[in-house]
Amino acid sequence: MNPKFILYFAWYYGFYIILRGPSYLVASLSLPLTLLFMVTIFTHGTLIAYAIAGGPIAIVAANSINGAADAAFFRIQIRIQDLFVATRITSQDYMFALSLSYLVFSLPGIALYAVLGAYFKVFMLSSALQIIAVLVLLTLTISNLSFIIAGLLKHIRNVWGITAILSIIMTVLPPTFYPYTFLPQGVIYILSISPVTPAAVLIQGIVGLEPFQVSMIFILLIETVILTFLGRKFIRWRE
Amino acid sequence: MIEIQEVTKRYDRHTYALKGITASLRERVTTVIGRNGAGKTTLIRILSTQLFPTKGTATIEGLDILKETKKVREIISSIPQESQLIGILSPLEQMQLYLMARGFTASQAKEESKHALDELELYDYRNAPSDTLSGGMKRKVFVAMALAAKAPVIFLDEPTTGLDPLSRIEVWSAIKRLSSKIILTTHYMEEAQELSNEVVVIDQGNIITHGAIGNLLSSFGGKMRAEKMDGEEYDIKIANVAIKYIEKERVDEFIAKGYDIKRINLDDIFLSKGVMLES
Ligand SMILES: Nc1ncnc2c1ncn2[C@@H]1O[C@H](COP(=O)(O)OP(=O)(O)OP(=O)(O)O)[C@@H](O)[C@H]1O
Ligand SMILES: [Mg+2]
Repeated sequence: MNPKFILYFAWYYGFYIILRGPSYLVASLSLPLTLLFMVTIFTHGTLIAYAIAGGPIAIVAANSINGAADAAFFRIQIRIQDLFVATRITSQDYMFALSLSYLVFSLPGIALYAVLGAYFKVFMLSSALQIIAVLVLLTLTISNLSFIIAGLLKHIRNVWGITAILSIIMTVLPPTFYPYTFLPQGVIYILSISPVTPAAVLIQGIVGLEPFQVSMIFILLIETVILTFLGRKFIRWRE
Repeated sequence: MIEIQEVTKRYDRHTYALKGITASLRERVTTVIGRNGAGKTTLIRILSTQLFPTKGTATIEGLDILKETKKVREIISSIPQESQLIGILSPLEQMQLYLMARGFTASQAKEESKHALDELELYDYRNAPSDTLSGGMKRKVFVAMALAAKAPVIFLDEPTTGLDPLSRIEVWSAIKRLSSKIILTTHYMEEAQELSNEVVVIDQGNIITHGAIGNLLSSFGGKMRAEKMDGEEYDIKIANVAIKYIEKERVDEFIAKGYDIKRINLDDIFLSKGVMLES
């Protein structure tokens, strides 16, 4: 482990990208904010708390899955991955560094939702740590999914299509913007194929909108472990 | 010293990029030359632990690239041919990240980066987004990374491709000042001659010549190269240029026939080994 490298990389590649290319940040916020707006209008405000609670999840998930484009770009196109292979860092350092940069990139969006959530009394300070833990786990799982995608691709062009599809499926289908209790429990388990589902169910439980489901902690943890393992296999560190 | 032992690389069923090559690279600077697609990059990537060989192995300063990967990675620095900068980051930021990955502390990494950028006349661009640098400047940033890393063994895959003549000389003199062992690839014969005491010529995945440049040149036994567009007498013909290797005594004769006379250099080792003949 090289924590210093990970932190510097995440800061440079997560934060400087926001400063130097803010349009991308706005783009990443547009889907959750649009959904927040629509949910609020169509439900006459009754589900606004759900849309706010799910916002950070949608942002983190979308930025992490879009990370597949970065990882594929680094591996196939600009060959930065190759440069780092022949150094002292491990594939795990590199993957943590990229994952953390996606989380850093998500911070302004998370902050925006924190403000909204405080204003509408959805988020309480006391639950902040739990929410952060869920967001970190979600970043790890989805980033690793994106490393798998990036590793499987032969051509960079396919990545845009795949991530666009996945990011819609993963952020809109799971109960990120509506109460998970709308779904039969069986459907929740099926949707749990996407780590966004357990994360969303957990958040709704943490903020007290719906009952807390302990089983979702295990599902999310198991998915983190499995995807981290697979991510390492598929990233093609030493080809 | 680098010992390459029967290294084979097969990318897919039909592509053998390296066909079981064996060599010991003993000199401080070794140049690998060969045509496009000869297998140079494949060899460099295998030696610098980025790519697994299909068969065979190699040792770098006694360390096996397959069994002692971690130790090998501690002593090498490798600049890939095709790496490009992350456009949104500055040269200084990227060099710092690279050096930290090689074990430098953050502040050490910054200092060494600045120093190397200065050496290659890039200091004024250190904080500019890399996207705003010219192609040659971007390439030089990677060379600067290798210089700053100060690894005992450095691999440079076409370090000077796309550089102007002055920049090339800057890079050369920087390379000469290093005490590291260096393996580089190039398409410029004068670069190989300028920098290295040892060349390896690869063609279609095989080593066709390997040795000290002086020895390779002396194999021509003092001959000269005579060349002429559409000339009638030739040993080799490339496109329509006829090339003939002649004794010194026949120089006047060939000048009279309209040939240009050139001194033998690495180009001729390359040409005479039949490397160019199939084109
Ligand atoms: N990733 C890959 N997949 C399949 N074939 C490859 C791959 N990389 C290289 N090759 C093939 O292997 C052979 C050697 O390629 P390599 O890149 O080592 O050549 P090179 O000597 O570095 O050429 P150049 O001077 O153009 O850089 C070529 O035939 C090339 O098509
Ligand atoms: Mg090459």
